[in-house]
Amino acid sequence: MAVEVLATDREGTTHKLEAERGRPLMEVLREANLGVEGTCGGACACGTCHVYVAGSWAERLPLRSEDEQMMLEAIAELVEVRPASRLSCQIPMSEELSGIEVEIGPVP
Amino acid sequence: MNAPIKLQLLLETQRLERNPFPIPTGWFFAGYSDSIQPGEVKNINFLDQEWVMFRGEGGQVGITDPYCPHLGAHLGHGGTVVGDNIRCTFHHWEYSTEGFCKHIPYAKVMPPITKKQPILRTLPVQERYGLIWAWYHPQAADPQWELPAIPEMEEPGHVKPRRWSGSVNTAIQEVAENGVDNVHLKYLHGTPIVPPTTATFEDHKMQINIGMGYIIGDMYGPGLNVMRFTKDGVTATMISYSVPITRDKTQMNMSFTHKDYPQGSKERTIAEHLVAHSIGEAEGEESAGFESVDMIVWNNKKYRAKPLLCDGDGQIIKYRQWFKQFYPGFENSDKI
Repeated sequence: MAVEVLATDREGTTHKLEAERGRPLMEVLREANLGVEGTCGGACACGTCHVYVAGSWAERLPLRSEDEQMMLEAIAELVEVRPASRLSCQIPMSEELSGIEVEIGPVP
Repeated sequence: MNAPIKLQLLLETQRLERNPFPIPTGWFFAGYSDSIQPGEVKNINFLDQEWVMFRGEGGQVGITDPYCPHLGAHLGHGGTVVGDNIRCTFHHWEYSTEGFCKHIPYAKVMPPITKKQPILRTLPVQERYGLIWAWYHPQAADPQWELPAIPEMEEPGHVKPRRWSGSVNTAIQEVAENGVDNVHLKYLHGTPIVPPTTATFEDHKMQINIGMGYIIGDMYGPGLNVMRFTKDGVTATMISYSVPITRDKTQMNMSFTHKDYPQGSKERTIAEHLVAHSIGEAEGEESAGFESVDMIVWNNKKYRAKPLLCDGDGQIIKYRQWFKQFYPGFENSDKI
């Protein structure tokens, strides 16, 4: 069963994407050319894969690690960070997350 | 029929290494303070790798791993000092003497790790006795002891230290082992008798007493040995600061000094003779200095972790057990 992602880009258009299990969400968004750069490759060092996770999906995700938390705090000085903000490089795709809805967030 | 021989004893050297030792932990000589000016960057080789040394405009010396944590450029080829930092030539990332990334000129947000910890490996540095000292630990642990006060090297009233350097193809442990090996003083160096020698060990320190107070040697880890030669109430001081260049090569360095006794005084003559004696160039001496006789042994021997010792061999085993503390991670090695 394919894992499905509903991603809304910064223009407000929602895209239905297919994700390989185990891959970080950041890579799925980057390959779909939705404006996610993922510059540091998943090291919580650049903040360019910032997303807002919709509704109750946010609660189903693993908690933010210290590194992710620090990166989100660092970009909060420049862009709006919400309780539902995540770095999409820290979200590995799984069947339980099929149908997840995210909005591509603002980046520094 | 004869009992079977212990064949192991006869074949052991086939598998012995000349130098089985890793680089030990401790404070090590990295250069003379007057060899690097504020704003200068240079590449140095010691502790079995290349390092980049720089002196910030404020005077602080940094010793770093050569390769920029960003994209791997060599900081010592094109890197420059900016204020108290070293700046990589590639993208102008800047690092403090402690290895923290202090500035990335084009980043809107500094990677959070840069605030949490150093991202470039550096060695803790101190300047004492006119020398630059670097603390080495294989897992980058903080310094575990302080360098001692050496009044003869740090206070006025002493002659300008005379320096000697040379290189030897063996490890520091082997060089310093001769300090407790009093028997070799007679047979290799030709002293008239085997001088009575005691050694005491405490934490990172070892004190040897050769010839009932004639030589008192205080060793502070592998990288510093302070030896005081006393005769007729006059003391000459030699500090020895050997440093591993590679696992197989040690640079031996020494500085000699004594009180600035008046020219022509009896005390000055004695002090100068003691210095000459310790270098092995005193006139009318029966015994040979280390350079002429120890080198041939050090440069060619193999280390036997399980030596065959006899009753007169003194404290060699105790010394080796003491030295093991400087090889963290190798506590159970049977090679050292």
